[in-house]
Amino acid sequence: MVSGEPVESGAGDRGSADVAALIPLVRRIVASRVPDPATADDLVQETLTRVLAAAGRVEPGLLEPYAIVTARNTVASMWRDQDRQRRHQHRVVDLRPPQAPDEDVLAREDRTAVAEALTRLSDRERTTLLAHEVSGQDTRSLAAELGSTAGAVAAQLNRTRARLRVEYLLVSERAEPPTERCRPVLLAISGGDRRRQREVDAARHMLECDLCARLSEPLMGRGRSRDDAVRVAVRTDADVVAARQAAREVATRLGFSATDVTLIATAVSEMTRNIVRFADSGEVVVAELQEPRTGISIVARDAGPGIPDVEQALQDGYSTYRGLGLGLPGARRLMDEFAVVSEIGRGTTVTMTRWRGEA
Amino acid sequence: MNDGPRLFSILRQGPYLIASVHTALDDSQLVRFQNDLVERIGSDRARGVVIDVAALDVLDSFASRTLRDMAEMARLRGAVTVIVGIQPDVAFAMVQLGMDTGRVVTALDLEEGLAELDRGARDPTAQRP
Repeated sequence: MVSGEPVESGAGDRGSADVAALIPLVRRIVASRVPDPATADDLVQETLTRVLAAAGRVEPGLLEPYAIVTARNTVASMWRDQDRQRRHQHRVVDLRPPQAPDEDVLAREDRTAVAEALTRLSDRERTTLLAHEVSGQDTRSLAAELGSTAGAVAAQLNRTRARLRVEYLLVSERAEPPTERCRPVLLAISGGDRRRQREVDAARHMLECDLCARLSEPLMGRGRSRDDAVRVAVRTDADVVAARQAAREVATRLGFSATDVTLIATAVSEMTRNIVRFADSGEVVVAELQEPRTGISIVARDAGPGIPDVEQALQDGYSTYRGLGLGLPGARRLMDEFAVVSEIGRGTTVTMTRWRGEA
Repeated sequence: MNDGPRLFSILRQGPYLIASVHTALDDSQLVRFQNDLVERIGSDRARGVVIDVAALDVLDSFASRTLRDMAEMARLRGAVTVIVGIQPDVAFAMVQLGMDTGRVVTALDLEEGLAELDRGARDPTAQRP
Protein backbone atom coordinates (compact mmCIF):
# COMPACT_ATOMS: atom_id res chain seq x y z
CA MET A 1 0.00 0.00 0.00
CA VAL A 2 1.89 3.00 -1.22
CA SER A 3 0.88 6.15 0.59
CA GLY A 4 -0.07 9.20 -1.36
CA GLU A 5 2.15 11.45 0.75
CA PRO A 6 4.72 13.49 -1.05
CA VAL A 7 8.19 11.98 -0.76
CA GLU A 8 10.53 14.88 -0.28
CA SER A 9 11.96 13.63 2.97
CA GLY A 10 14.99 11.28 3.35
CA ALA A 11 14.92 7.62 2.35
CA GLY A 12 14.69 6.41 5.97
CA ASP A 13 11.65 8.57 6.74
CA ARG A 14 10.01 7.54 3.57
CA GLY A 15 10.61 3.89 4.44
CA SER A 16 9.15 4.14 7.93
CA ALA A 17 6.13 6.04 6.67
CA ASP A 18 5.52 3.36 4.04
CA VAL A 19 5.95 0.61 6.58
CA ALA A 20 3.54 2.30 8.98
CA ALA A 21 0.97 2.21 6.22
CA LEU A 22 1.44 -1.55 5.99
CA ILE A 23 0.57 -2.23 9.63
CA PRO A 24 -3.16 -3.01 9.12
CA LEU A 25 -2.30 -5.42 6.30
CA VAL A 26 0.35 -7.27 8.33
CA ARG A 27 -1.95 -7.39 11.32
CA ARG A 28 -4.68 -8.97 9.21
CA ILE A 29 -2.37 -11.62 7.74
CA VAL A 30 -0.93 -12.64 11.10
CA ALA A 31 -4.30 -12.56 12.93
CA SER A 32 -5.83 -14.89 10.37
CA ARG A 33 -3.16 -17.48 11.20
CA VAL A 34 -2.44 -16.99 14.88
CA PRO A 35 -5.44 -16.90 17.24
CA ASP A 36 -3.57 -15.79 20.39
CA PRO A 37 -3.56 -11.93 20.28
CA ALA A 38 -0.36 -11.56 22.36
CA THR A 39 1.60 -13.91 20.08
CA ALA A 40 0.09 -12.25 17.03
CA ASP A 41 1.22 -8.89 18.30
CA ASP A 42 4.78 -10.16 18.76
CA LEU A 43 4.78 -11.54 15.24
CA VAL A 44 3.48 -8.28 13.78
CA GLN A 45 6.26 -6.41 15.52
CA GLU A 46 8.84 -8.85 14.27
CA THR A 47 7.53 -8.65 10.71
CA LEU A 48 7.54 -4.87 10.78
CA THR A 49 11.09 -4.79 12.12
CA ARG A 50 12.21 -6.97 9.25
CA VAL A 51 10.34 -4.97 6.64
CA LEU A 52 11.70 -1.74 8.06
CA ALA A 53 15.24 -3.11 7.93
CA ALA A 54 14.70 -4.08 4.32
CA ALA A 55 12.79 -0.98 3.26
CA GLY A 56 15.89 0.69 1.85
CA ARG A 57 16.63 -2.31 -0.35
CA VAL A 58 13.12 -2.95 -1.64
CA GLU A 59 11.60 -1.08 -4.58
CA PRO A 60 8.87 1.24 -3.26
CA GLY A 61 6.15 -0.47 -5.28
CA LEU A 62 7.19 -3.90 -4.04
CA LEU A 63 7.16 -3.12 -0.32
CA GLU A 64 3.61 -4.42 0.08
CA PRO A 65 4.22 -7.89 -1.41
CA TYR A 66 7.49 -8.01 0.54
CA ALA A 67 5.60 -7.35 3.76
CA ILE A 68 3.04 -10.05 2.95
CA VAL A 69 5.71 -12.67 2.32
CA THR A 70 7.65 -11.63 5.41
CA ALA A 71 4.55 -11.88 7.58
CA ARG A 72 3.83 -15.39 6.31
CA ASN A 73 7.44 -16.47 6.80
CA THR A 74 7.54 -15.14 10.31
CA VAL A 75 4.44 -17.09 11.24
CA ALA A 76 5.76 -20.23 9.53
CA SER A 77 9.08 -20.07 11.31
CA MET A 78 7.28 -19.70 14.65
CA TRP A 79 5.33 -22.87 13.89
CA ARG A 80 8.54 -24.61 12.95
CA ASP A 81 10.18 -23.57 16.19
CA GLN A 82 7.23 -24.77 18.23
CA ASP A 83 7.23 -28.06 16.42
CA ARG A 84 10.96 -28.54 16.92
CA GLN A 85 10.62 -27.77 20.58
CA ARG A 86 7.83 -30.28 20.97
CA ARG A 87 9.85 -32.96 19.23
CA HIS A 88 12.96 -32.34 21.28
CA GLN A 89 11.33 -31.74 24.61
CA HIS A 90 12.26 -35.19 25.88
CA ARG A 91 15.89 -34.31 25.43
CA VAL A 92 15.76 -31.72 28.10
CA VAL A 93 15.72 -34.51 30.65
CA ASP A 94 19.25 -35.18 31.88
CA LEU A 95 19.77 -38.88 31.55
CA ARG A 96 23.35 -38.96 32.78
CA PRO A 97 23.77 -41.08 35.87
CA PRO A 98 24.62 -39.17 39.01
CA GLN A 99 28.32 -38.59 39.42
CA ALA A 100 30.21 -41.46 40.99
CA PRO A 101 32.40 -40.43 43.94
CA ASP A 102 35.64 -41.30 42.11
CA GLU A 103 34.68 -39.53 38.91
CA ASP A 104 36.24 -36.31 40.02
CA VAL A 105 39.51 -37.99 40.88
CA LEU A 106 39.57 -39.85 37.58
CA ALA A 107 38.83 -36.67 35.67
CA ARG A 108 41.68 -34.94 37.47
CA GLU A 109 44.07 -37.79 36.68
CA ASP A 110 42.93 -37.65 33.08
CA ARG A 111 43.62 -33.93 32.91
CA THR A 112 47.06 -34.44 34.42
CA ALA A 113 47.81 -37.13 31.86
CA VAL A 114 46.74 -34.91 28.98
CA ALA A 115 48.77 -32.02 30.37
CA GLU A 116 51.82 -34.24 30.82
CA ALA A 117 51.38 -35.65 27.32
CA LEU A 118 51.16 -32.10 25.94
CA THR A 119 54.51 -31.20 27.51
CA ARG A 120 56.08 -34.07 25.61
CA LEU A 121 55.19 -32.52 22.25
CA SER A 122 57.58 -30.12 20.61
CA ASP A 123 56.83 -26.42 21.12
CA ARG A 124 55.77 -25.95 17.55
CA GLU A 125 53.48 -28.97 17.59
CA ARG A 126 51.91 -27.90 20.84
CA THR A 127 51.36 -24.31 19.76
CA THR A 128 49.75 -25.31 16.49
CA LEU A 129 47.56 -27.95 18.09
CA LEU A 130 46.34 -25.62 20.83
CA ALA A 131 45.72 -22.80 18.39
CA HIS A 132 43.58 -25.13 16.31
CA GLU A 133 41.78 -27.16 18.97
CA VAL A 134 41.44 -24.65 21.79
CA SER A 135 41.42 -21.24 20.11
CA GLY A 136 39.61 -22.58 17.08
CA GLN A 137 42.01 -21.09 14.55
CA ASP A 138 41.44 -22.70 11.17
CA THR A 139 44.12 -24.50 9.19
CA ARG A 140 44.25 -21.84 6.50
CA SER A 141 45.17 -18.99 8.79
CA LEU A 142 47.60 -21.28 10.64
CA ALA A 143 49.17 -22.13 7.31
CA ALA A 144 49.56 -18.45 6.52
CA GLU A 145 51.34 -17.86 9.86
CA LEU A 146 53.61 -20.86 9.44
CA GLY A 147 54.35 -20.21 5.79
CA SER A 148 52.82 -23.52 4.80
CA THR A 149 49.70 -24.86 3.11
CA ALA A 150 46.41 -25.73 4.79
CA GLY A 151 46.77 -29.36 3.74
CA ALA A 152 50.24 -29.62 5.22
CA VAL A 153 49.05 -28.05 8.47
CA ALA A 154 46.14 -30.50 8.64
CA ALA A 155 48.50 -33.41 8.08
CA GLN A 156 50.83 -32.05 10.75
CA LEU A 157 47.89 -31.71 13.13
CA ASN A 158 46.94 -35.31 12.47
CA ARG A 159 50.46 -36.45 13.28
CA THR A 160 50.45 -34.33 16.41
CA ARG A 161 47.15 -35.82 17.55
CA ALA A 162 48.52 -39.30 16.88
CA ARG A 163 51.57 -38.47 19.00
CA LEU A 164 49.40 -36.97 21.73
CA ARG A 165 47.33 -40.15 21.90
CA VAL A 166 50.47 -42.24 22.27
CA GLU A 167 51.99 -39.99 24.92
CA TYR A 168 48.69 -39.82 26.76
CA LEU A 169 48.49 -43.61 26.93
CA LEU A 170 52.10 -43.86 28.05
CA VAL A 171 51.53 -41.29 30.79
CA SER A 172 48.30 -42.82 32.01
CA GLU A 173 49.90 -46.29 32.02
CA ARG A 174 52.91 -44.75 33.77
CA ALA A 175 55.02 -46.73 31.35
CA GLU A 176 58.27 -45.94 29.64
CA PRO A 177 58.69 -47.75 26.30
CA PRO A 178 61.15 -50.61 26.84
CA THR A 179 62.74 -50.37 23.41
CA GLU A 180 63.45 -47.55 21.03
CA ARG A 181 61.22 -49.19 18.45
CA CYS A 182 58.12 -48.81 20.60
CA ARG A 183 57.40 -45.14 19.92
CA PRO A 184 57.67 -45.32 16.12
CA VAL A 185 55.46 -48.41 16.10
CA LEU A 186 52.84 -46.87 18.39
CA LEU A 187 52.90 -43.67 16.37
CA ALA A 188 52.32 -45.55 13.13
CA ILE A 189 49.41 -47.40 14.68
CA SER A 190 47.98 -44.30 16.28
CA GLY A 191 48.13 -42.43 12.98
CA GLY A 192 46.50 -45.35 11.18
CA ASP A 193 49.30 -45.10 8.61
CA ARG A 194 49.62 -48.56 7.22
CA ARG A 195 52.57 -47.83 4.96
CA ARG A 196 54.48 -46.54 7.96
CA GLN A 197 53.33 -49.55 10.00
CA ARG A 198 54.87 -51.82 7.42
CA GLU A 199 58.07 -49.78 7.36
CA VAL A 200 58.57 -50.13 11.07
CA ASP A 201 57.24 -53.71 11.01
CA ALA A 202 54.60 -52.90 13.59
CA ALA A 203 52.94 -56.32 13.49
CA ARG A 204 56.13 -58.07 14.46
CA HIS A 205 56.95 -55.62 17.17
CA MET A 206 53.53 -56.08 18.73
CA LEU A 207 54.12 -59.80 18.98
CA GLU A 208 57.39 -59.12 20.76
CA CYS A 209 56.48 -56.24 23.01
CA ASP A 210 53.87 -56.66 25.72
CA LEU A 211 53.50 -52.95 26.33
CA CYS A 212 52.89 -52.13 22.67
CA ALA A 213 50.53 -55.06 22.29
CA ARG A 214 48.48 -53.65 25.15
CA LEU A 215 48.66 -49.99 24.13
CA SER A 216 47.92 -50.72 20.51
CA GLU A 217 44.43 -51.91 21.35
CA PRO A 218 42.88 -48.54 22.10
CA LEU A 219 44.88 -47.06 19.23
CA MET A 220 43.85 -49.72 16.74
CA GLY A 221 40.16 -48.92 16.83
CA ARG A 222 40.94 -45.74 14.96
CA GLY A 223 40.80 -45.46 11.21
CA ARG A 224 39.65 -49.00 10.74
CA SER A 225 36.53 -47.97 8.89
CA ARG A 226 38.49 -46.80 5.85
CA ASP A 227 40.53 -49.94 5.93
CA ASP A 228 40.73 -51.68 2.60
CA ALA A 229 41.97 -54.84 4.29
CA VAL A 230 39.95 -57.99 4.78
CA ARG A 231 40.39 -59.77 8.06
CA VAL A 232 39.56 -63.41 8.53
CA ALA A 233 39.68 -64.86 12.00
CA VAL A 234 41.10 -68.36 11.80
CA ARG A 235 40.12 -71.18 14.15
CA THR A 236 38.87 -74.13 12.18
CA ASP A 237 39.31 -75.95 8.89
CA ALA A 238 36.44 -74.03 7.38
CA ASP A 239 38.31 -70.78 7.97
CA VAL A 240 41.06 -72.02 5.68
CA VAL A 241 38.58 -72.01 2.84
CA ALA A 242 37.18 -68.64 3.96
CA ALA A 243 40.66 -67.08 4.05
CA ARG A 244 41.64 -68.28 0.63
CA GLN A 245 38.34 -67.16 -0.81
CA ALA A 246 38.84 -63.72 0.73
CA ALA A 247 42.29 -63.57 -0.88
CA ARG A 248 40.80 -64.75 -4.15
CA GLU A 249 38.22 -61.97 -4.09
CA VAL A 250 40.71 -59.23 -3.30
CA ALA A 251 43.17 -60.50 -5.91
CA THR A 252 40.46 -60.70 -8.56
CA ARG A 253 39.33 -57.17 -7.73
CA LEU A 254 42.90 -55.96 -8.11
CA GLY A 255 43.04 -57.41 -11.60
CA PHE A 256 45.34 -60.37 -11.03
CA SER A 257 45.19 -63.03 -13.73
CA ALA A 258 43.24 -66.22 -12.99
CA THR A 259 46.50 -68.13 -12.65
CA ASP A 260 47.92 -65.62 -10.18
CA VAL A 261 44.69 -65.68 -8.20
CA THR A 262 45.01 -69.45 -7.83
CA LEU A 263 48.67 -69.16 -6.83
CA ILE A 264 47.78 -66.60 -4.18
CA ALA A 265 44.85 -68.68 -2.93
CA THR A 266 47.11 -71.72 -2.67
CA ALA A 267 49.70 -69.83 -0.65
CA VAL A 268 46.99 -68.45 1.65
CA SER A 269 45.60 -71.93 2.05
CA GLU A 270 49.00 -73.26 3.17
CA MET A 271 49.61 -70.48 5.66
CA THR A 272 46.11 -70.56 7.09
CA ARG A 273 46.32 -74.29 7.57
CA ASN A 274 49.51 -73.80 9.54
CA ILE A 275 47.60 -71.51 11.90
CA VAL A 276 44.83 -74.08 12.40
CA ARG A 277 47.31 -76.88 12.87
CA PHE A 278 49.92 -75.30 15.08
CA ALA A 279 48.21 -72.47 16.89
CA ASP A 280 44.75 -72.47 18.33
CA SER A 281 43.73 -69.34 16.58
CA GLY A 282 45.03 -66.50 14.54
CA GLU A 283 44.07 -64.20 11.76
CA VAL A 284 44.73 -63.64 8.11
CA VAL A 285 44.70 -60.10 6.81
CA VAL A 286 44.49 -59.57 3.09
CA ALA A 287 45.29 -56.02 2.03
CA GLU A 288 45.55 -54.16 -1.21
CA LEU A 289 48.82 -52.47 -2.05
CA GLN A 290 49.00 -49.50 -4.38
CA GLU A 291 52.57 -48.42 -3.70
CA PRO A 292 54.95 -48.75 -5.46
CA ARG A 293 52.82 -51.01 -7.66
CA THR A 294 49.52 -52.79 -7.44
CA GLY A 295 49.86 -55.84 -5.31
CA ILE A 296 48.34 -57.94 -2.63
CA SER A 297 49.73 -58.36 0.84
CA ILE A 298 48.78 -61.22 3.07
CA VAL A 299 49.64 -61.42 6.72
CA ALA A 300 48.99 -64.68 8.53
CA ARG A 301 49.44 -64.12 12.22
CA ASP A 302 49.03 -66.37 15.21
CA ALA A 303 49.94 -66.38 18.85
CA GLY A 304 50.87 -70.05 18.82
CA PRO A 305 53.98 -71.87 20.01
CA GLY A 306 56.25 -70.37 17.37
CA ILE A 307 58.71 -72.06 15.03
CA PRO A 308 61.96 -73.13 16.73
CA ASP A 309 64.07 -72.94 13.58
CA VAL A 310 62.63 -70.82 10.80
CA GLU A 311 65.51 -71.60 8.44
CA GLN A 312 64.84 -75.29 8.82
CA ALA A 313 61.10 -74.85 8.40
CA LEU A 314 61.76 -73.10 5.11
CA GLN A 315 63.57 -76.17 3.78
CA ASP A 316 61.64 -78.42 1.43
CA GLY A 317 60.42 -81.60 3.03
CA TYR A 318 60.74 -80.45 6.60
CA SER A 319 57.56 -81.37 8.36
CA THR A 320 56.59 -81.72 11.97
CA TYR A 321 53.34 -83.46 11.14
CA ARG A 322 52.62 -85.97 8.43
CA GLY A 323 52.47 -83.28 5.79
CA LEU A 324 54.46 -82.88 2.65
CA GLY A 325 56.68 -80.31 4.31
CA LEU A 326 55.70 -77.93 1.56
CA GLY A 327 53.79 -75.34 3.54
CA LEU A 328 56.32 -72.59 4.10
CA PRO A 329 58.78 -73.30 1.26
CA GLY A 330 55.94 -73.91 -1.18
CA ALA A 331 54.12 -70.72 -0.29
CA ARG A 332 57.42 -68.87 -0.55
CA ARG A 333 57.78 -70.09 -4.12
CA LEU A 334 54.28 -68.91 -4.95
CA MET A 335 54.78 -65.36 -3.75
CA ASP A 336 57.13 -62.55 -4.68
CA GLU A 337 58.03 -61.57 -1.15
CA PHE A 338 57.90 -63.79 1.86
CA ALA A 339 58.96 -63.21 5.43
CA VAL A 340 58.54 -65.33 8.51
CA VAL A 341 58.94 -63.92 11.96
CA SER A 342 58.54 -66.29 14.82
CA GLU A 343 59.29 -66.31 18.46
CA ILE A 344 58.99 -69.32 20.70
CA GLY A 345 55.97 -69.07 22.93
CA ARG A 346 54.83 -65.84 21.35
CA GLY A 347 53.67 -66.65 17.89
CA THR A 348 54.42 -66.56 14.22
CA THR A 349 53.73 -63.96 11.60
CA VAL A 350 54.08 -64.72 7.93
CA THR A 351 53.98 -61.73 5.63
CA MET A 352 53.78 -62.35 1.93
CA THR A 353 53.32 -60.12 -1.06
CA ARG A 354 52.64 -60.69 -4.67
CA TRP A 355 52.84 -57.88 -7.20
CA ARG A 356 50.57 -57.76 -10.16
CA GLY A 357 52.36 -58.33 -13.45
CA GLU A 358 51.97 -55.65 -16.09
CA ALA A 359 49.00 -56.94 -18.00
CA MET B 1 33.86 -83.50 11.73
CA ASN B 2 31.43 -85.68 9.79
CA ASP B 3 28.35 -83.55 10.09
CA GLY B 4 26.75 -81.25 7.59
CA PRO B 5 25.70 -82.05 4.05
CA ARG B 6 28.03 -83.99 1.81
CA LEU B 7 29.82 -81.75 -0.60
CA PHE B 8 30.80 -84.63 -2.86
CA SER B 9 29.07 -87.57 -4.48
CA ILE B 10 30.21 -91.13 -5.12
CA LEU B 11 28.23 -92.82 -7.91
CA ARG B 12 28.53 -96.28 -9.31
CA GLN B 13 29.10 -96.78 -13.04
CA GLY B 14 29.51 -100.47 -13.90
CA PRO B 15 32.63 -101.77 -12.17
CA TYR B 16 33.80 -98.22 -11.46
CA LEU B 17 33.07 -95.51 -8.97
CA ILE B 18 32.82 -91.90 -10.05
CA ALA B 19 33.62 -89.59 -7.14
CA SER B 20 32.91 -85.93 -7.79
CA VAL B 21 33.72 -82.97 -5.62
CA HIS B 22 31.01 -80.31 -5.84
CA THR B 23 32.66 -77.30 -4.28
CA ALA B 24 35.76 -76.18 -2.44
CA LEU B 25 36.32 -78.61 0.43
CA ASP B 26 38.02 -77.88 3.68
CA ASP B 27 40.40 -80.32 5.27
CA SER B 28 37.91 -82.24 7.37
CA GLN B 29 35.52 -82.57 4.43
CA LEU B 30 38.42 -83.91 2.37
CA VAL B 31 39.17 -86.49 5.02
CA ARG B 32 35.50 -87.47 5.07
CA PHE B 33 35.61 -87.78 1.28
CA GLN B 34 38.64 -90.06 1.58
CA ASN B 35 37.03 -92.28 4.21
CA ASP B 36 33.73 -92.58 2.36
CA LEU B 37 35.45 -93.45 -0.89
CA VAL B 38 37.66 -96.15 0.59
CA GLU B 39 34.59 -97.64 2.23
CA ARG B 40 32.60 -97.58 -1.01
CA ILE B 41 35.39 -99.33 -2.92
CA GLY B 42 34.90 -102.32 -0.63
CA SER B 43 31.11 -102.29 -0.47
CA ASP B 44 30.69 -101.78 -4.23
CA ARG B 45 33.57 -104.12 -5.13
CA ALA B 46 34.80 -101.42 -7.48
CA ARG B 47 37.73 -102.12 -9.82
CA GLY B 48 38.41 -98.53 -10.67
CA VAL B 49 37.77 -95.04 -9.36
CA VAL B 50 37.57 -91.73 -11.16
CA ILE B 51 37.96 -88.74 -8.86
CA ASP B 52 36.72 -85.53 -10.43
CA VAL B 53 38.29 -82.50 -8.77
CA ALA B 54 37.21 -79.87 -11.31
CA ALA B 55 35.32 -77.99 -8.61
CA LEU B 56 38.32 -77.60 -6.30
CA ASP B 57 39.57 -74.02 -6.42
CA VAL B 58 42.89 -74.95 -4.93
CA LEU B 59 44.89 -78.13 -4.62
CA ASP B 60 47.29 -77.25 -1.87
CA SER B 61 49.66 -79.60 -0.11
CA PHE B 62 47.01 -81.14 2.09
CA ALA B 63 44.52 -81.72 -0.71
CA SER B 64 47.25 -83.17 -2.95
CA ARG B 65 48.43 -85.48 -0.23
CA THR B 66 44.88 -86.59 0.50
CA LEU B 67 44.30 -87.40 -3.16
CA ARG B 68 47.59 -89.28 -3.30
CA ASP B 69 46.64 -91.22 -0.18
CA MET B 70 43.23 -91.99 -1.61
CA ALA B 71 44.79 -93.42 -4.76
CA GLU B 72 47.17 -95.47 -2.67
CA MET B 73 44.45 -96.78 -0.38
CA ALA B 74 42.29 -97.62 -3.39
CA ARG B 75 45.19 -99.52 -4.90
CA LEU B 76 45.59 -101.51 -1.71
CA ARG B 77 41.87 -102.31 -1.91
CA GLY B 78 42.28 -103.52 -5.48
CA ALA B 79 41.06 -100.51 -7.44
CA VAL B 80 42.82 -98.26 -9.90
CA THR B 81 42.37 -94.54 -9.44
CA VAL B 82 42.38 -91.82 -12.07
CA ILE B 83 42.15 -88.18 -11.08
CA VAL B 84 40.44 -85.95 -13.61
CA GLY B 85 39.52 -82.31 -14.01
CA ILE B 86 42.54 -80.53 -12.57
CA GLN B 87 42.12 -76.98 -13.82
CA PRO B 88 45.03 -75.40 -15.69
CA ASP B 89 45.52 -72.68 -13.05
CA VAL B 90 45.42 -75.26 -10.30
CA ALA B 91 47.96 -77.40 -12.14
CA PHE B 92 50.23 -74.39 -12.51
CA ALA B 93 49.98 -73.62 -8.80
CA MET B 94 50.67 -77.24 -7.87
CA VAL B 95 53.87 -77.26 -9.89
CA GLN B 96 54.95 -73.91 -8.46
CA LEU B 97 54.25 -75.15 -4.97
CA GLY B 98 56.62 -78.04 -5.66
CA MET B 99 54.13 -80.84 -5.33
CA ASP B 100 55.35 -84.31 -6.20
CA THR B 101 52.38 -85.94 -7.89
CA GLY B 102 54.17 -88.34 -10.23
CA ARG B 103 52.61 -91.59 -9.08
CA VAL B 104 49.03 -90.53 -9.44
CA VAL B 105 47.30 -91.30 -12.73
CA THR B 106 45.48 -88.35 -14.20
CA ALA B 107 43.28 -87.70 -17.20
CA LEU B 108 41.84 -84.57 -18.68
CA ASP B 109 38.17 -85.22 -17.98
CA LEU B 110 35.68 -87.86 -16.94
CA GLU B 111 35.48 -89.43 -20.39
CA GLU B 112 39.24 -89.76 -20.66
CA GLY B 113 39.35 -91.06 -17.12
CA LEU B 114 36.89 -93.86 -17.82
CA ALA B 115 38.75 -94.71 -21.03
CA GLU B 116 41.94 -94.90 -19.02
CA LEU B 117 40.31 -97.33 -16.57
CA ASP B 118 39.05 -99.46 -19.47
CA ARG B 119 42.56 -99.65 -20.90
CA GLY B 120 43.93 -100.63 -17.51
CA ALA B 121 41.25 -103.33 -17.13
CA ARG B 122 42.08 -104.85 -20.52
CA ASP B 123 45.77 -104.96 -19.83
CA PRO B 124 46.41 -105.61 -16.15
CA THR B 125 50.17 -105.70 -16.72
CA ALA B 126 50.10 -102.01 -17.63
CA GLN B 127 50.40 -101.01 -13.98
CA ARG B 128 51.60 -97.51 -13.23
CA PRO B 129 55.10 -97.22 -11.85
